[in-house]
Amino acid sequence: MLRFKWFFALLLAVVLQAVQAPTARALTIDIYGPGQRQVNVCLLAPVAVSAKPGAAPHLPDGAERLENLMRQDLSFLPFIKLMASSDILGSTSGATAKEIDFHALTLAQADLAVSTSWIDEGRDMGSLELRLFETFSGRRILGKAYANVQQEQLPLIADRFCSLVMQALTGKSAFFTSRLAYVKEVGHSKEIYTVGPQGRGQLRVTRLGGKNLSPAWSFDGRKLAFTVLTPLGHRLGIWDRATGRIDRKNLNCNTVISPAFLPDGHIAVALDLAGRTSIYLLSDTYEPSTALTSSRAIDVSPSFSSDGAKMAFASGRYGSPLIFLLDMKTKEVRRVTFKGKYNTSPSMSPDGRFIAYSSMLPEGHRIFVHDLATGRDTQVSFGPGNDEEPAFGPDGYFIAFSSSRSGVYQLYLTTRHGDAARRIPVEGPAFSPAWGDVDQLLVRGQ
Amino acid sequence: MKMKFLGLLTLCLLFALGSAGCAKKEVQSQPEPQPAYQEQVDQDQAAQEEQQQAEQQLQEAELARQREFEASLIELGTMVHFDFDKSELKPSARDILQRKADILKQYPDVTMVIEGYCDDRGTQEYNLALGERRARASYEFLVLLGVAPERLSIVSYGEENPIDPAQNETAWALNRRDQFRISY
Repeated sequence: MLRFKWFFALLLAVVLQAVQAPTARALTIDIYGPGQRQVNVCLLAPVAVSAKPGAAPHLPDGAERLENLMRQDLSFLPFIKLMASSDILGSTSGATAKEIDFHALTLAQADLAVSTSWIDEGRDMGSLELRLFETFSGRRILGKAYANVQQEQLPLIADRFCSLVMQALTGKSAFFTSRLAYVKEVGHSKEIYTVGPQGRGQLRVTRLGGKNLSPAWSFDGRKLAFTVLTPLGHRLGIWDRATGRIDRKNLNCNTVISPAFLPDGHIAVALDLAGRTSIYLLSDTYEPSTALTSSRAIDVSPSFSSDGAKMAFASGRYGSPLIFLLDMKTKEVRRVTFKGKYNTSPSMSPDGRFIAYSSMLPEGHRIFVHDLATGRDTQVSFGPGNDEEPAFGPDGYFIAFSSSRSGVYQLYLTTRHGDAARRIPVEGPAFSPAWGDVDQLLVRGQ
Repeated sequence: MKMKFLGLLTLCLLFALGSAGCAKKEVQSQPEPQPAYQEQVDQDQAAQEEQQQAEQQLQEAELARQREFEASLIELGTMVHFDFDKSELKPSARDILQRKADILKQYPDVTMVIEGYCDDRGTQEYNLALGERRARASYEFLVLLGVAPERLSIVSYGEENPIDPAQNETAWALNRRDQFRISY
């Protein structure tokens, strides 16, 4: 029944989308530009509308919760500055363009306004309409309706709508619908978990005991690969999201380190087949098939662009670990980082232009982003403590990393421009974030 | 009177005889012959004592061997340490491993897992590989000294399970190590 209601809500949303105002965008944000602008957004007070004429409408219990959830979500976008209602002189409510006092909003320098109207149908929470307006022109950029809203759907609704807001402004929407895998310390063991990038909907993946490390998503978000550290040696762990099953493969190697998926679903992993740890491609049956790197030193941490043409990795071939790039077609390897003596944990942006990595400075590890087009390295994290293990988001804009700045390792978010780091609220020590382009609805719906 | 003289003579004779008998007895230092069964019991006791003594000696030898074995096991567990981001064996580590090789040759039933560890200044994935190199350095040295490779295995823990989680040079130096897990 719930599923039917949800389907109905989606259908209604699609219909509303079809009849909304023309989508010519006056206000856009180039999140990849060198100096992104910040837009002021005002969340208007929710309005109650009665479905029956003449009846006095009431706001449902969850109205305030939805506002807080949207506020939380939007606060993760560095290009959005959320305004307080006290910033605006005059009325800050209304649902439609006719009801909203755009003059007051523009005077307060609000660029965008989000209106929330609850349709009181006399039972449950009723239905919900969310709209995004550009204040200067009064034009509606976005309109969404959700029928028969349930309390437990509020986080999803907030995520979905904010995802559309991001899409409308930047052309990218993956942030709110993506999912992070990470390692969490549970007693003496380390287990794999997944969580939304805003810290919502935490799910435990493994209960294997021991140390489970370095999770990596497949590009389709269906699988996670990770290292299982046992007293008998390393094993390759594979989690299938659809079945929840975990396979532990014995590759008969001393090291099974830093597994990473290629876009075609194959796995590259660092093994010590020839007496030294190099990166190998695994076959469909998880047998080592091709050596992707070969040196007398340590080669680890492969990371692929979404077209599979490039692989970044860390190698100690020049005495200490540095970042290198492998052209998958020509097999040509070139050195990427020339600054720093200990550069590890590369993560390639999906478009293959940027590599985020961790560099050891005298004051601790910091995250840098290397632009392959210009050859420039930009520091994007500033401690204190150690900032390690960066992971590019599917939008190529956000970067998740682990940091000991609070005394224990926790997960943080920044962008490739080095915006102020924001902690992802998960409990306990957390490490090794890995970003997957996974629809949260599918994961939470399991 | 004649009767008195005879009686005195007899007494003297008897006395003389008695004295002579006593002197003879003194000369004979041999013990009086014992009954047969008593002799058997004495023999058994002696054998038992001898056996007990032998057993005790054996037990003591066994205990000594056990003690020596335990001391050897403790010595086999001695860790070797490394410099930052390095997996080369230092001279002190080579001495420790030489001793381990001798012990392993003495006790052919003992097998050993060599665990490689790093301090947590580096990053995890690279450290997992470095831990393997450190364990492999000990492994290869022991094999070179004649220990059968099938008696040795390698597990790298990277920067997991530090001995001292503190953030100072003393703790880091302790954590950059090979640890040896013994089975027999």
